Amino acid sequence: MIYENTKISAVDIIIIIAMILLVIAGLVSIYSAVHASGLSELHANFSRQILWFAVGVVFFVCTTFLSIRLISDVSYWIYFFTLVLLASTLFAGAGAGVQRWLVIGPVQFQPAEFCKIGVVLALAKYLSTENRDLNRPSHIFMSGLIVLLPVLLLLKQPDLGTALVFISLILPVIFWAGLPLHLMAILLAPCISMIASFHYYSFFAAMIFIALVFALFRRGLKFLLGNMVVNIAVAVTTPFLWNALHAYQKHRILTFLGMELDVHGSGYQLIQSKVAIGSGGLLGKGFLEGTQTQLRFLPAQHTDFIFSVIGEEFGFVGIFLILLLFYFIIIRGIHVAFNCRNKFASLMSIGAASVIAIHVIINTGMTVGVMPVTGIPLPLISYGGSSLMTNMILIALIINASMRRYHI
Amino acid sequence: MLLNIRKKILYVIVSLIFFGLVLRFSHLQIYEQSRYTQESEKNRIRDVVIQPSRGLILDRNGRVIVDNVPSYSVFCVPVEMDYSWTLLSKILGLSESQLQEKIDKNSYGQFARVKLKRQISFEELSKIEEQRLDLPGISYDIEPRRYYPSEVKAPHIFGYLGEADNMLLKSMDRSIYHPGDLVGKTGLEKVYDLQLRGIPGHRFVEVDALGREVNRGQGDLERIAAVPGQNLHLTLDGRLQLFLEEQFSGISGGAVVVDCSNGEILAMVSKPDYDLSLFTKPLTHDLWKTLSEDTTKPLFDRMVQSLYPPGSTFKLAVAAAALEQGKGYDDMTFTCDGAYRYGNRMFDCWKEEGHGTLDLMGAIEQSCNVYFYQLGLKLGIDILSEYARKFRFGLPTQIDLMEESAGFVPDRDYLNKTYGFGNWTQGLVLNLAVGQGDLLVTPLQMAALAMIIANKGIYFNFHLMRYLEEPVSRVQSWGQVEPTRIDGISESTFDKLRQGMFKVVNGENGTGRACRLPNIQIAGKTGTAQNPHGDDHAWFIGFAPYESPEIAFSVFIENGGGGGAVAAPLARLLIEEYYHLEISRRQ
Repeated sequence: MIYENTKISAVDIIIIIAMILLVIAGLVSIYSAVHASGLSELHANFSRQILWFAVGVVFFVCTTFLSIRLISDVSYWIYFFTLVLLASTLFAGAGAGVQRWLVIGPVQFQPAEFCKIGVVLALAKYLSTENRDLNRPSHIFMSGLIVLLPVLLLLKQPDLGTALVFISLILPVIFWAGLPLHLMAILLAPCISMIASFHYYSFFAAMIFIALVFALFRRGLKFLLGNMVVNIAVAVTTPFLWNALHAYQKHRILTFLGMELDVHGSGYQLIQSKVAIGSGGLLGKGFLEGTQTQLRFLPAQHTDFIFSVIGEEFGFVGIFLILLLFYFIIIRGIHVAFNCRNKFASLMSIGAASVIAIHVIINTGMTVGVMPVTGIPLPLISYGGSSLMTNMILIALIINASMRRYHI
Repeated sequence: MLLNIRKKILYVIVSLIFFGLVLRFSHLQIYEQSRYTQESEKNRIRDVVIQPSRGLILDRNGRVIVDNVPSYSVFCVPVEMDYSWTLLSKILGLSESQLQEKIDKNSYGQFARVKLKRQISFEELSKIEEQRLDLPGISYDIEPRRYYPSEVKAPHIFGYLGEADNMLLKSMDRSIYHPGDLVGKTGLEKVYDLQLRGIPGHRFVEVDALGREVNRGQGDLERIAAVPGQNLHLTLDGRLQLFLEEQFSGISGGAVVVDCSNGEILAMVSKPDYDLSLFTKPLTHDLWKTLSEDTTKPLFDRMVQSLYPPGSTFKLAVAAAALEQGKGYDDMTFTCDGAYRYGNRMFDCWKEEGHGTLDLMGAIEQSCNVYFYQLGLKLGIDILSEYARKFRFGLPTQIDLMEESAGFVPDRDYLNKTYGFGNWTQGLVLNLAVGQGDLLVTPLQMAALAMIIANKGIYFNFHLMRYLEEPVSRVQSWGQVEPTRIDGISESTFDKLRQGMFKVVNGENGTGRACRLPNIQIAGKTGTAQNPHGDDHAWFIGFAPYESPEIAFSVFIENGGGGGAVAAPLARLLIEEYYHLEISRRQ
């Protein structure tokens, strides 16, 4: 059975309203952002985004009413399919300098976006399979592998920002799947070691902190020492790995860490973005009135830096409302996951909510300098068809799960 | 661990992060709002277009004829002008409504710079610089303008620049032309505009809240250099051109000199003309009116655009028709007693006492009308128009200039249509045989006729461009010169025409004797085109040297009188100068 017999009333109307409000806010901001660049571009970008939304609605409705069993059954297939698409960008990709686009006929899309759906489904499928035991390293490793394959492809593209999204995605999902807390600590500690490895003092401080946390688990000296060896090794090798990164990636990370100020590159974007948002004030400068936006300071103001446009023209009130809508959708996703008796649907909902949450946090944080300038879009709002459709499908997955919370 | 606890942990983490974000935004937008508002007003970066220097135009000897000099233009950003209006209008001598008009016309975006005035004087420039603080939204920049260092005028060839009009802006790519851009309006400047104009560069400068550039002169934030336009190297010989311009001063008319071996235009003069430097300043309405309403039509290129009857020079085409028809046409003799009666009308020869009995060669040499009346009657309208077209009359020469006239060749259909079927008399054919009436040509086409005969049927498209050169890389792109053979006219016919033309100059009774030179053998044909509106037009076309021609030419003098008396001596001077220059070049 492809579609389940579901009453329309069971559909989570409020989450749909939130989604539509966000898309409308996106269209308004895109209109303003491209308004500055002249009429022909404006019409092209604006109407294309509306077209993508229309296509997205079709996908959204289909996904909402798909049978959860069917989704579960084809999860791996979707994963591999999106992975193949992603891999093919390395050979057939089009795009300035970076290979992120795939062109099929008149349609251009970013497989990395759709791959997020594949990873969410594959993770949910793998972790919901019977006899899955997250105390066993091999099972943790397998779920890590699901994420690692697209990450390797993304690093090859290179698209550090999206790779970061995938890496962050695994934590909430395996946490939800029941990963013991001490194992969670084992996974998280190397990240801290890595970041702290750039300076002697931070290195020692991090090592002491990690040792304390591991000691608190009281799992014996062997556990404590083993982990410390791993973390010290990570911290020592990080600088070597660092040198293997692309210059622009190093640049962005350094700018993020406040160690380097680049007035023309990502630092310039950040300064201009902060000026735009800050000068917006409480109520904003008004639609099409933002001087920073209309003077076209931000190189990606209709895509990655769309939130700065909102901040400038609609002020803190606009920002707050947008964040509130996202917060609502994410909390709703967790809530749905909690109420689901079907483990696959529950994990799918958590995964979908996580992808949206990670995007929102990194993207909005980036515009005010609390997150690195990584070039990932703001869900439902940034200009771009692949991202819009992916996020609509993710929300459809949450709704789908919510309608079948009593199925097993 | 219970799922309930995990849910709560996630709730707390998400809520904390979102709370942090909201806190961060509120800090920026509420607590630090005034600081960032100041920043946003102070810290504006503007993209200023750097005009590329336009390609130079040089003659075949590498002498610069059209050059650039820097000049200053004033710009404004309309939304930032604030209280600048009054002071600015005082400095520039333009009323506020005139300024507003300029802005309305040239604006292409709220924050885009609009050009207000080109070529401001040094005084205006210093005033603006002095009172910069009282002129928010106003800036100035260097823009190259045209400058003509040589004495060569040739305004019809080079053409002038003007601001891009709406038609051009709409028809071309938005990235190439912007409102206020200077573009070629006529002549080579227009034909080669895309090659000459180069690619604009950009300066990213910091401006303050009122649009005033801060730190001017202390370097830009970023600069993308402009790419200069390509230099246009011409086929023209500046010295020959200058010589001819001097010879034609005070005369209405002109001359075209071409290289027979490739169709290169060596000189092309059209008088009266005007001074191109008038157009380097913003054009005033009065000046334009004076030029366009001048009865001597200085704006008109008489060599390329004007149409005249060719007069007796056309007899060469008629003779070619007779020679190609062969027996019964080319071997006839007619007797001229000064006039020819057809029906009840008398058709005069130019020589009242008559030429006596002549054969075809004699008729060419002496340009006898009576002979050609009878020959034309025998050939008929169809053959005459066919041969006129064979010599490319009625077709543009494809020279690289705008608005070239194609001329007109009357034929049977045309005569039937104009005068009514069967209503026209053979009198029109008689007139056509001596190059009068409805047949119209440009002096350029007549030079082509001379070149075709000189080359025994080989034709080259006329052109002024030798090559374009990238000023930095020195990469040259040359135009293609392809010879075309004139179909249906045999070499023996061309030999006969050449002999006839030789005799015109060198024969005992030749009409072009005034073009004779001791050392150089010249061949030519005179023409005197009757003009119903005034004195006759004088023609002389030809080539030199006779045996292996190097140049072909046509000389035309409006209302000049007889071709042999007026145009031929000028042609002699032209050839003399050409060889004089050749000799000095070879040494």
